[in-house]
Amino acid sequence: MIRFKDFSFCYEGMTEDTLKNIDLEIKDGEMVLLTGRSGCGKTTLLRSINGLIPHFYPGKTNGDVLYGDESLLEMKPSDIAGKVGTVFQDPRSQFFMTDTTRELAFGCENMGYPREEIIDRIEKAVTALELEEYLNRSIFSLSSGEKQQIAIGSVYAMTPKVFVFDEPSANLDHEATSRLSGIMKKLKDSGYTIIVADHRFYYLRDLIDTAVYIENGQIVNRFSRDEFLNLDNDFRIQKGLRTSYPERDIGTIPEISSEIEASAERNLFKVDGLTFAYDKKQKLLDELSFEASSGDVIGITGHNGAGKTTLISILTGILKEQSGKVYFKGKRLSAAKKRKLSYLVMQDADYQLFTASVEEELVLGTKVSDKQMIDSVLDKLALSEFRECHPAALSGGQKQRVTIGASLIKNSEILFFDEPTSGLDYDSMIRVSSLIKELSDNGAIIFLVSHDFEFITHTCTRIFDLDVEKNGKMIELGETTLQMLAEKYFHSFKQ
Amino acid sequence: MINESVRNKITEVTFHGTARLDPRLKLLMLIILGCVSFFINGDVPSLLLMTAVTVFVAAGSDPKWGIKMLIIYILISYLNICLKYIYIPVISLMISMFGVTVLKAMPIVTLGRWVLKSTYMDELTVALERAGMPLTVIIPFVVMFRYIPTLGIEYKLIRNTMKIRGVSDSFIKILLHPFATFEYILIPLLMRCLKVSDELAASGTTRGMERTNKRYALQEVRFGFIEYLILAFVLIFVAGLFVLEKTPAGHFVIWRLG
Repeated sequence: MIRFKDFSFCYEGMTEDTLKNIDLEIKDGEMVLLTGRSGCGKTTLLRSINGLIPHFYPGKTNGDVLYGDESLLEMKPSDIAGKVGTVFQDPRSQFFMTDTTRELAFGCENMGYPREEIIDRIEKAVTALELEEYLNRSIFSLSSGEKQQIAIGSVYAMTPKVFVFDEPSANLDHEATSRLSGIMKKLKDSGYTIIVADHRFYYLRDLIDTAVYIENGQIVNRFSRDEFLNLDNDFRIQKGLRTSYPERDIGTIPEISSEIEASAERNLFKVDGLTFAYDKKQKLLDELSFEASSGDVIGITGHNGAGKTTLISILTGILKEQSGKVYFKGKRLSAAKKRKLSYLVMQDADYQLFTASVEEELVLGTKVSDKQMIDSVLDKLALSEFRECHPAALSGGQKQRVTIGASLIKNSEILFFDEPTSGLDYDSMIRVSSLIKELSDNGAIIFLVSHDFEFITHTCTRIFDLDVEKNGKMIELGETTLQMLAEKYFHSFKQ
Repeated sequence: MINESVRNKITEVTFHGTARLDPRLKLLMLIILGCVSFFINGDVPSLLLMTAVTVFVAAGSDPKWGIKMLIIYILISYLNICLKYIYIPVISLMISMFGVTVLKAMPIVTLGRWVLKSTYMDELTVALERAGMPLTVIIPFVVMFRYIPTLGIEYKLIRNTMKIRGVSDSFIKILLHPFATFEYILIPLLMRCLKVSDELAASGTTRGMERTNKRYALQEVRFGFIEYLILAFVLIFVAGLFVLEKTPAGHFVIWRLG
């Protein structure tokens, strides 16, 4: 049993407590979902269970966190290691070893178990979580979902009583998410205590016992599973929560604004017979042809490895197509022309920030020196007060807006977004969604790659899918196919 | 229930031959041969050293890499000698000096990359621990070892965004602004590095990385008889090279035109 007793925590160098007077009891074998807006304190709460607080992230604590009768705050992380296991958000940055078998062994080796026992423990983890096919692989050859399964296996081999998951679904596609859900079910059935913090939680709807809603570092509501799943929609949205039933709450597909629709000069972007293959046997993209015009917001869906990123890389001119043509306003585009016209907002903004201030960042690579234009862009993105700030000091959402701002200054007519909502709460998702709507109302053509069904159905005017046909073909989804896809994706979470 | 096929897969090793030697020996050899490469002179001893490294690497699951580097070595040696016949003041000298430095570094790069690729990280940790190194030194060392292969992937992503932003996207721009280009690559790379190392450390901490107990690797790690034997061979070989350097054979010029 884990018990928070009037627990408060303040990170070193901060003035306000991140967690305030937390009282929470988690029973053995219980599965608890922690949810709430970004920055509400979910992650901090998890860190106080796995020992990172106060040892790894120092600060001032008040009250106590108990594991059984022992205080977790007094234990060193190295003592907590075999008791509480943690799976982190980004599977890319939690691998210590370069091959999967040794990653599974990592925790056990640290515990000082003898060789035979390490092998026994890995065998148990591999059998229980069905990881045999991933053994002895280089971690660089695994997808995010596969990496995460290995990360769970590595924790499992240490046989902790409690599993802690920090936004485990943020980087996963639907298939991987449903596999994650399956693994969690197994863990729950075997009697482990599970604590999950996540913004997207539809995949947990059959599993959780309790949902805890946190706001400003305080526990505001504690719902039973039934109460939580049947929350009133308006109440849910007001609390900034994602839906538990994405297939039911399909958003109304936005209309293209009539102004743009009516204007005669809709810029036409045309792709004709685009083909790409990494190896000769299997074409990743096979003869894709489609048209798009300004005002279109096109969602591209498909599982990891279906070719979404490759398609974007070709359309932005980073990769070269093997055959096929791309036209804009009737003119054929070379790779260099594509790069000039388009702009890509990456999932991880850190790769895209090069300079020492927000303002410099916006004009980098362009010849713009028009102060007024910069002002208006900063204003539009609510970044005016950060003008002189170092981009690295901004929050994730702000960084993303800086990169979007750079696209406005570059005046790109075709914009690409790669997973813009990974790890975002409902409010931030809606903010990104309306920002994209605004960009498209100004006449840009927008493509966005995303696994986030809720986001896509709220944002896109058209949806292309690379999964349905499977052989490198892409089809446009109508309303009924969309329903069918939703059924397929969320079928396994049916009650 | 014991699942034999899973157990076999767990204990399977993908590297063979010299790659299975103790990591301590590999690192020791890297240091010894690295120093020798810079101190030894003469075409014959240098080529012998490079060949020995190639043979050693080839016997350790990576013949392609070794042979590729040997061929490059021979090519550079030839090109370097060609410079003597096309004389441009200063520039010739500079390029020739650069060539010599590259040649000296070749055995180190060949051996170094092989050590990096063929060494299991857990065996490295255990080997260093057994050698009496404190955990505070081992952990950063292992994290560095782990991060090097990721650098290439991160670099490529950064270059891609630079292309789209129109920053240093052509050869001419890079040539005109080498320092700015360097900065634009370095800053995101450092930011990522900071973030990744922080997350990696957190993940390691929760899995007992800081525990000071004795560790056992998945495969036994031992600096045994074979390791001592090979070390002795290496030392004799090095001594032989220095003796050879003093004999007439050491001054023999291999690389010449015609």
